[in-house]
Amino acid sequence: MNPLERALTQLGRELEVPAAPDLVPAVLALIKPRRAVRRSRRRWVLALAAAVLAALVATLAIPDARSALFRVLRIGGVQVELVDELPALVPAPAELPLDLALGKATTLEQARRDAGFELRELDTPPDRVYLGERRTVWFLYGAPSKVRLLVAQTPGVAVDPPLILKKLVSPDTRVEEVAVDGARGYFLDGALHFVLLVDDRGQVIEETVRLARNVLVWEVDGVTYRLEGDFARDEALAVAASLRRK
Amino acid sequence: MEGRPPDDVALAERARRGDERAFEELVRMHQDMAFRVAYLLTGSAADAEDAAQSGFVKAWTALPRFRKGAPFRPWLLRIVANEAHNRRRSSSRQEALRLRSSAAHPAEDATLSPEGAALGHEQHEELLTAVLRLDERDREILTCRYFLELSEDEAAAALDVRRGTVKSRTARALVRLRLELES
Repeated sequence: MNPLERALTQLGRELEVPAAPDLVPAVLALIKPRRAVRRSRRRWVLALAAAVLAALVATLAIPDARSALFRVLRIGGVQVELVDELPALVPAPAELPLDLALGKATTLEQARRDAGFELRELDTPPDRVYLGERRTVWFLYGAPSKVRLLVAQTPGVAVDPPLILKKLVSPDTRVEEVAVDGARGYFLDGALHFVLLVDDRGQVIEETVRLARNVLVWEVDGVTYRLEGDFARDEALAVAASLRRK
Repeated sequence: MEGRPPDDVALAERARRGDERAFEELVRMHQDMAFRVAYLLTGSAADAEDAAQSGFVKAWTALPRFRKGAPFRPWLLRIVANEAHNRRRSSSRQEALRLRSSAAHPAEDATLSPEGAALGHEQHEELLTAVLRLDERDREILTCRYFLELSEDEAAAALDVRRGTVKSRTARALVRLRLELES
């Protein structure tokens, strides 16, 4: 430690910090009872196993697309599994603060510096920017409580252990192959879908649920792009087309 | 990582499984630190209380995603720091950090530590003013490393960056702090 660092440490010890209030009563009043995680996790693993099985054996009710290709789709780091029935566990949205689920809040300028790859941006700057898991950069338009559009950009660089983003979609969800920027992409439209982060041993390490939101996903030059919002296919494609490197 | 009492890990595991009493114990153990982190990052007691409280509530919600056996404190600090960061952005009620006006300083320090001898109260004021003139990113990293005395690993967890980034950001912040002191 050099003299300046020692002086800063000393200064820190002399800073006037008000006495910490007792947070225990307020925190306990605000937290909601949670079921034991072990049970919930087992349910997820079972649901995942069921999902894989369903994807293998079921005849899927997907309009115009019953080929095996559509049973498990892989685009960049995203794997979409089509299942007969979605897992029953539906946490209340309020229990999953979107802010926290997306990652650390940052600024657009900072995200450009920290991303490690060249971001694509819309002409309108996002209302909020987050740096999340797997170096995903999230642009949020609207407010966390009322999202108009989410744009996610995930670099394809392998992480250790490798993680796979899985989406479970039900037969009520339409999956349509589309071309975005010369690349193959998919537009997911309709019912609920689940997003799971699964490690290479198949263990669920993070799950989020987004309600009734349509998704466009595609991959270009090793970066996976996802748009999520209440938009129709053509609107999503128009947004994708205006997502450019600055 | 710094040594924490072994029951920290055990309590976090019980809380992860939904045990509210274990979580209550964790709040009790870490609330002073959480408040201090939030206060030094926001400069406001009201925002700090709000950020620390909300950080604990979000930690409870996020506990199912907490990695089993991982140290709880850096993970909690990350959530609290994030909450403090968000409040700092939206809040206009920022008070300047103040030095304790205790008569114990700096004369006693002079006998206790060589660095204390080199820096009297006035110089500390000057140093604090220089730190407060830095931009938020620099202030944040210096606060974590020196004011809160977090290890590089803990600062990395609290700021959600790699350890190497903590090193480089600290080095750059110290260079800019020197420039501020010289100007």
